[in-house]
Amino acid sequence: MPRWLAHLIVLALLAAACGWAFASLDMTWNWGVVWEYRQAFWKGWWTTLGLALAALLASSLIGLAAAVMLRSRFALVEAVARVYVELIRGTPLLVQLLVGWYVVAAALHVGTGYRTAVGVLVLAMFSGAYMAEIFRGGLDAIPKAQVDSARAIGLTRWQAFRLVIFPQAVRIVLPAVAGQLVSLIKDSSLLSVLSIGEFTFAARNVNSATYSTLESYLPLAAGYLALTLPLSALSRWLERRFRYEAA
Amino acid sequence: MVSGRASIVRAAWLLAVVVGGVVAHAAEPLRVGMELSYPPFEMTNPQGRPAGVSVKLAEALGGHLGRPVVIENIAFDGLIPALKAGHIDCVISSMTATPERAKSIAFSEPYLKTGLALLIAKRSPVQSAADLDSPGRVVAVKQGTTGQQWAAASLKQARVLVLDTESAAVLEVIQGRADAFVYDSMSVYTNHKKQPGKTRAALAPFREESWAVGLRQGNDELRRDVNEFLETFRADGGFEKLGDEFLAEQKAYFKDHAIPFYF
Repeated sequence: MPRWLAHLIVLALLAAACGWAFASLDMTWNWGVVWEYRQAFWKGWWTTLGLALAALLASSLIGLAAAVMLRSRFALVEAVARVYVELIRGTPLLVQLLVGWYVVAAALHVGTGYRTAVGVLVLAMFSGAYMAEIFRGGLDAIPKAQVDSARAIGLTRWQAFRLVIFPQAVRIVLPAVAGQLVSLIKDSSLLSVLSIGEFTFAARNVNSATYSTLESYLPLAAGYLALTLPLSALSRWLERRFRYEAA
Repeated sequence: MVSGRASIVRAAWLLAVVVGGVVAHAAEPLRVGMELSYPPFEMTNPQGRPAGVSVKLAEALGGHLGRPVVIENIAFDGLIPALKAGHIDCVISSMTATPERAKSIAFSEPYLKTGLALLIAKRSPVQSAADLDSPGRVVAVKQGTTGQQWAAASLKQARVLVLDTESAAVLEVIQGRADAFVYDSMSVYTNHKKQPGKTRAALAPFREESWAVGLRQGNDELRRDVNEFLETFRADGGFEKLGDEFLAEQKAYFKDHAIPFYF
């Protein structure tokens, strides 16, 4: 069976199951009133796209830096990164957002106009901790002998990292990084607690204005899929590309 | 000895049959929806059980109808959808009867009168609701409340912060990030008492409101019963007693300052 046909069959079965579940609900749908709020959804979706891209970039940089620090020869540097990773991974994002905004940002006298910036930064720190462990795993997976060999043929420590270790590590970590980025996009929905007008915030507002819960949240699911599916596709494409180069 | 044990077994059987019969014939429970985060109306006691004015009111309603009461704790903006979907039979959650909501659900006769008031940040230039709608003002509201509806309709130039909890909105005011929090006068009073040094309160309602029991549209039988119950409960001094039990301080203060807040 060709792969696309298999996907189509699974999707059709899923659609049938969902159709049956919704039909058995005996609900009176109220799509008209939600359609009136399409501008709100649209604006929220773009906001989520924007802040997810910013957090995505920042969290990759933070993650890479923390991963290198985790492998540092200096105990203090390693300790800083380790405490950061464990503290962030061990606590809920909701708490980090509330502490970040109502405690840290308040102590630094950050004005109310910067709530989106603070929210994105906390999200990037959160995701960065997971990225750090993913990157560290990828770097650790390259045998130490390769560094020794690279050094033996006269490469500097930095050249060995950049030309030998890093390209191989990227290929290893790609699937895990893509998964983490998909999580990041969905986690950005929590920024709504800081009254940041992203996609989930928009859907919640439509819900509280129209009292149409499913009609507000089903478009939300579709909107997030529209962001996450291309990311998964991109990651698969990159994986194939890097595999070809490595072979 | 043997006969003793047999009689115990027989008694147990009898008990099981009787209890089973009672349970089987018991009236359908009345499922009452409320958000347990609005003391002293809807809250949880230290053991985590539902408590407060609305819980007492729901229990009295159950007693009147001869039905056991089940309290369903649902976030405020989820109450109307839950009612519409039939997950609950009625809403007793300090809910204002508004024309917007009346498009989706039915309401009983009102049982309490209050209004929108302002919790103002100490250093904000805002004095009253008339000062809110100008550029640079930041106004906090709670999601799904009449405060949010009012802000959406009336504030064109101010920035509106929509927050999902009352405590977050209060925090924005205390920290001076928001000029004011638009909420009912009762809560504004309570929050101002907790933070007298950092907040001011403009308690006189700039928009009067009344709370009612939310019901499914078309459920006229229950609506009639609820209205009948509210009338008897009021006549019997039930509201008076609840006020004295939960709101003695507030009642006295509001009465002294001629601010409408009464059952």
